[in-house]
Amino acid sequence: MAKTILTVDDSGSLRQMVAFSLKAAGYDVVQAVDGQDGLNKAKEKTVDLVLTDQNMPVMDGLTLITNLRTLASYQKVPILMLTTESSDEMKAKGKAAGANGWLVKPFDPKRLIEVVQKVIGA
Amino acid sequence: MKTLPIEELRELLAAVSRHGDWHLLEIETDLQQTAFLLNEAIEKLSASFMTVYAQLTDQQAALQLLADAGKLQPEEMQQLQVFQDNIGQEINKVVTGMQFQDMTNQLLQRTINRVHGLKDLLHELSSHQFPMAADDEHEEIRRFIMQLNQNFDQGSQHLTGNLRKSVNQQDLATGDIDLF
Repeated sequence: MAKTILTVDDSGSLRQMVAFSLKAAGYDVVQAVDGQDGLNKAKEKTVDLVLTDQNMPVMDGLTLITNLRTLASYQKVPILMLTTESSDEMKAKGKAAGANGWLVKPFDPKRLIEVVQKVIGA
Repeated sequence: MKTLPIEELRELLAAVSRHGDWHLLEIETDLQQTAFLLNEAIEKLSASFMTVYAQLTDQQAALQLLADAGKLQPEEMQQLQVFQDNIGQEINKVVTGMQFQDMTNQLLQRTINRVHGLKDLLHELSSHQFPMAADDEHEEIRRFIMQLNQNFDQGSQHLTGNLRKSVNQQDLATGDIDLF
């Protein structure tokens, strides 16, 4: 059974490219348009991995991670940030919030899949 | 004692505000139009990309059927594999390249927000609440100008504080990956 990944990004084109890359590698993908939407969808179904942007309207990525980590079902689910933000300060905030990794955009599909496989397996 | 040219100063401030506002409105309109065009471009590119990819997938499936039926020579199959690998590499490059719109859009929105903030600052020049008359004492006029200057400084700093730069990429080279 394919593993499910929740991707959260307010950019439609970015969501499409992430979903395309993950689906081509055999993963099921659930998409959300911002942190709040991501949180709602994460509650509907516990996924195997969350891949989230940082700067989004309504709720940003760090707040989403903080909220997810309060849920029992998301204590151990890997969460990766995929964002344009590249400063050490932001990465430290991500780590403190509970992120398991930080990927700076733009991403290369091959490297993205390698990281995802490393984190949750094929 | 000569009266101070307060009316002229007031008109100057109002003109700076008015002209500045007009030019900033033009800038904002152009930026919005650019963002719209880029958004439409990426939507069309994405749709075409998905169609091309689906066609390639179908084509590869058809070729695989031929290969499975033994209708392709080993060297032909080898050549097809080379084509497939090359296509795969190019698809990865396209996916990376098409992420330009996410970054340009963030930069454009930041610029538009700065334009909005600058318009508000310029508005202060013509809408200030300070009483000012030609027969006011020189010291009162000085205080007014200093106050206006201070408001401008504070507004500018506030604007800068609200516009943290989140995109520092200078090209479309793929970004770093850190696993914690």
